[in-house]
Amino acid sequence: MIGLAGIPILSLIILTPLVGALLLAFIPGQNLRAIRWTALGIALVAFVLSLVAVLGFDASQPVQPDGSIYQFAEQQPWIPFFGINYQLGMDGISLLLVVLTTTLTWISILASFTPVQSRVKEYMISFLVLEVGMLGVFLALDMFLFYIFWEIVLVPMYLIIGIWGGANRIYATIKFVLYTLVGSLLMLVAILATAFSYQAATGSWDNAFNIQKLVEAGFDPTLQFWAFLAFFLAFAIKVPMFPFHTWLPDAHVEAPTAGSVILAGVLLKLGGYGFLRFALPLFPDAARDLGPLIVVLSLIAIIYGAIVAIVQPDLKKLVAYSSVSHMGFVTLGIFVFQEQGMQGAIMQMINHGIITGALFLCVGVIYERTHDRTIAKMGGLASRTPVYAAVFGFFMMASIGLPGLAGFVGEFLVFLGTFAVSPVAAAIAVLVIIFGAVYLLWMFQRVIFGEVSDFLKGLGHHLTDMTPVEVLTLAPLAALTLIIGIYPALVLDFIQVPVDVILDQLQAGASVGLLK
Amino acid sequence: MTANEWLAIAPFLIVSGLAIGIVIIDLIWPRRKGLVMVAAVVGLLAAMAVTVAAGPLPGGGSLPASGQAVFGGVYVRDQLTVFLDLLFMSIALLTIMFAPDYLEPRGLPIAEFTATLLFAISGAMLLGAGRDLLILFLGLELLVLPGYMLAGFAKRDGLSVEGAIKYFLLGSFSSAILLFGLAFVFGYTGTTNVSEIGQHLGNIAGGFEPLPVALGLGLALITAGAGFKIAAVPFHYWTPDAYQGSPTPVTGYLSVGPKVAAFALALRLFVEMLGPLADDWWVLVAVLAVLTMTLGNLAALGQDNIKRMLAYSSIAHTGYIMVGLAVYGGTTSTEVQDTAIQGVLFYLAAYSFMNLGAFACVAALQRRPGVTSQVSTFAGLGVRAPLLGVAMTLFMLSLIGIPPTAGFFGKMLIVVSAVEGGGWFVLLAVILMINATAAAFYYLRVVVTMYMRPAPGSAKPVTFGGWTKAGLVIAATAVVVIGLVPPITQGMLDWTMQAARTLIGA
Repeated sequence: MIGLAGIPILSLIILTPLVGALLLAFIPGQNLRAIRWTALGIALVAFVLSLVAVLGFDASQPVQPDGSIYQFAEQQPWIPFFGINYQLGMDGISLLLVVLTTTLTWISILASFTPVQSRVKEYMISFLVLEVGMLGVFLALDMFLFYIFWEIVLVPMYLIIGIWGGANRIYATIKFVLYTLVGSLLMLVAILATAFSYQAATGSWDNAFNIQKLVEAGFDPTLQFWAFLAFFLAFAIKVPMFPFHTWLPDAHVEAPTAGSVILAGVLLKLGGYGFLRFALPLFPDAARDLGPLIVVLSLIAIIYGAIVAIVQPDLKKLVAYSSVSHMGFVTLGIFVFQEQGMQGAIMQMINHGIITGALFLCVGVIYERTHDRTIAKMGGLASRTPVYAAVFGFFMMASIGLPGLAGFVGEFLVFLGTFAVSPVAAAIAVLVIIFGAVYLLWMFQRVIFGEVSDFLKGLGHHLTDMTPVEVLTLAPLAALTLIIGIYPALVLDFIQVPVDVILDQLQAGASVGLLK
Repeated sequence: MTANEWLAIAPFLIVSGLAIGIVIIDLIWPRRKGLVMVAAVVGLLAAMAVTVAAGPLPGGGSLPASGQAVFGGVYVRDQLTVFLDLLFMSIALLTIMFAPDYLEPRGLPIAEFTATLLFAISGAMLLGAGRDLLILFLGLELLVLPGYMLAGFAKRDGLSVEGAIKYFLLGSFSSAILLFGLAFVFGYTGTTNVSEIGQHLGNIAGGFEPLPVALGLGLALITAGAGFKIAAVPFHYWTPDAYQGSPTPVTGYLSVGPKVAAFALALRLFVEMLGPLADDWWVLVAVLAVLTMTLGNLAALGQDNIKRMLAYSSIAHTGYIMVGLAVYGGTTSTEVQDTAIQGVLFYLAAYSFMNLGAFACVAALQRRPGVTSQVSTFAGLGVRAPLLGVAMTLFMLSLIGIPPTAGFFGKMLIVVSAVEGGGWFVLLAVILMINATAAAFYYLRVVVTMYMRPAPGSAKPVTFGGWTKAGLVIAATAVVVIGLVPPITQGMLDWTMQAARTLIGA
C-alpha cells in the first residue's frame, strides 16, 4: 500500500479523460495518427492512475472517520442551495469497477484503430467522455452527482451507436436512449423525493443528497416502496433484466465493436452497481419485500436469455442474449440477500465485463474480415485462422463457466448463495449450464470446426489470422480471465467488507431510521 | 418625481426610446443595416446596465430591496421586475442579433423589424412591473400588437399572412376574454390595484362557499384568456400556424418573448391577485398542465416541419411550467410555494435561451431563401457546419433536460417543488418526466438527422454572419454556464428565489 494522502486521486482519474477529450478537440481532424495515439495515451494514463489507486487502497477497508468505508474521500460544495456536493469516494466494489472501466476503455480505443475510419476525432472524444461518465457513476457519493454522471453516459453512447453503428443504427440508438431515459427520469423524481424527505425531517438541505447520511436516516415504508420502484426501473433497464431487456440486442448488433465491448463490459454494470450502492442501502425494507419478485425475474432472465441465444443466427445477437442470461446471475445474487450470493454477483459483474467484452472483440475480429456475422455462413475457421480459433475457444469456455476460468467463480458463488436461501431457485438456475453449453458449443462448432464454408473460401487471402494489435487487445483479458479463475481471492478480498456492510444495512434497515 | 422614481422607470424609458430612436435613424439614414444593429445592441446593453445598476438585486442596486413604487403604486420595480426585465432584454438582444441573416436575403427591412420588436419588448417590460389591472392590460396590448405585425412581416408570403391573421384574431379574442374576466373581478372588489384586490379577496376568502357566480365567471374567463396567451391546451390552436408562417427569427421571438411575458402576467394575476382563491383554480391549472404537456408532446412527435415541431414542443414546455403554478396553488407551505415559483422563473430563463437558440439555428440554416423548414434540411449539418451542429445539439439536449444544462435545472426545480408538494403532485412530477422522455424522441431526431444522415449531394455550404455567430455563442454559453458553473448556478438559484419571494410576499 502506498500513501496517497492529500492527492485527489479520484478526481484525477475522472478528470484525465475529460481533459483528454478537450485536448483532442484541438488536434486537426485530418491527423488521424495523432488523434488515435493521443486518445490511447490518455486512456492509458487513466488506467495507470486507477492502478495507483489500487496500490494506495487499504484492502482491509477500515471504517473511516465519517462512519463509512469509502476511501480517498473528496468533498466540495457544488450547489449549496440544495446541499449538493461534489463528493467522491471509493470502496472495494467501486475500485474493481473503476479498474474494469479504465482497462476496457484503453482496450476499446486500441481495438478501434483499424475499424473506425470515419470521423475518428469525434469518435475518440465520445469514448473519453463516455469514460468520464462511467467513472463518475462508480465514484460519486452524492446522489445528484451520481445522477448527472448517469445521464452523461447516455449522450456519447447514443452518438457511438448512432454514428458509427450498423445499418439499422438509428432505430437501435433511439431505442437505447428512450428506454434508459424512462428509467432515469423517474429515478430523478425518486432521488428528489428522498432528498426532500430528508430535508423535511432535518429542517435543512445540508447533506440531503449525501448517500451516507441518507442511508443512516432511513425512510418510511411508503416512500421506500415507490422510490425503490423508480430506482429499480432505472437499474433494471440498464442491467437489463427481463422484461426490460429488448433494447439490448438491438443496441449490441448495431453498435461498433468497441461500443459493444463498453456496453456489455461497463454500461450493464451500472445497473448492478446502482442496486448495491443505492437501491438496497437506501430502501432496505422495500428491497426485502420485492426481493422474491426480482429473484423470479432473474431466473426468467437466466433461462430465457440462454434459450433465445440458442436460436440466434447472428453471432453478436447470440452474445447479446447470453449477456441477458449472465446478468441474470448478477441480480439473482444480489437479491438473495446472502453473503456468498452477493459476492458472486459482484464477481460475476467483473467476469462478465472481461469475458463478454472479449467475446465481442472476437466477433469484431471476424466481422472485420468478412463484414458478416451470420453463423450459417461461417465454418472451418480452425484450419484457416488457428490462433483466432484458440482465443475464441478460450473465451467461449470461460463464458460457459469452465472451472479454472473466471466465469466459473461468480456463477458458482451465486449458486451457492441461492441454494442456501432457496434450493428450488438454485436448481432452476443451474439448468443454465446445460443451455449455456448448448448455445456456445453449438455456435463454436458451426463457426470454427468442419469444412471451410464457401462464403469464407470466397474471401481468399482476405481471411487472415489475428493481427498483433488484435492479440494485444485480447491478451490482457485472457490473462485476467485465467488469473481470476485460479486465484479468485484477488477480487474477493476487495468485496468482502463492502458486501458485509451492505448486508448489515439491509438488516439494520428496520430498526433505526429517524424518518419513519 | 424623485430620482429613485426616475431610476425605476429608466429601463422602460430607454427601451421604448430606443424603439422610437431606431425609427428616426432609419428615416434620416435609410437602409443602413450596420448602424441600426449597433444602435439597437448598444442601446439594449445600456438599458441592461442601467437595470443592473438600479436594482434591486439580491446583491445590491441603488433602489430599495423592497421595491420602488412609481405613479402611486401602479408601477413597481422590485426584484421580480428586474429579473423579468433582464430576461426580456436578453431575448430582444438575441433576436435582433439573429434576424439580419434571415431578413436581408429576403429583402425584409431590418430597421422596421428592430423597432417593432423593441416596442413589443417595452410592452413586456411594462407587464413585468405593472401593479394595476389597467397598466397590465396596457402592457399586454403593447406586447401583442407589434407581435401581430411581426408575424405577418413577410407580407408577400401567404403562409406568413395566414399565420398573422390567425394570431391576430385569436389574440384579440383572448385579450377581450381576459379583459372581460378582469372586469368581473373589478366589479366584485371595486379596485384595479392588484395587491388591493388580493387583500380584498383574502379578507373574505373564508366566506366563499360556494364561489359567487360573478367571481367564478371572472376566474374562468381569466384562466381562458391567460391560457390563450401562454398557449396552453385547449387554447393553443393558433400556435403552430402562427409559428410556422412567421419569418423564422420572429418565430423564435414569439416562442419565448410573449410566452415569458404571458407567464409574468399569469404569475401576477394568479399568485398576487387570485392567490386567495387558489383552492378554486389549482386543480384546473393542474389538469390543464397535464393536458398541455401531453398533447403538446404527442403532436410534436408527428411533425416533419421543424418550426411546427418546436411550436408544439413549446406548448409542452408551457405545460411543464404550469406544473409549478399548480403546485403553488395547491399547497399551503410557504417554502414549497417559494420553490414552485422559483422553478417557474428559472425554467422561463432557461427556456428562453435554449428555445431562442434552437430557432436561431433554424434561421441560420435558412439564410439562403428556398431552404424549407423540413427536419431533413438538417441532414449532415454536423459536418457541413460544425458550430451550428454543436450548438443545435446543445439546445436539443437542454430542451430534453439532460444534465448539466440549464434546461435540466429548470425541470429539476419544478419537479422538486412538485415532490415537496406531495400527494397528487408527485404524480404530476411523474407525468412530467414521462413527457420529457417522449420529448427526447423528437428532439433527438434532429440530432440524428444532423449527425447520422448524410447531407444530400445537392447541399450547398452553410454560411452565416458574425451577428448570428455571436448570438449563438451567447445563447449556448448561457445554456451551459447556468448549469455547469457552480457560482452561476447558485447565483441563479438565489436570484430566482428572491424574486419568487418578492412575488409571494407581496
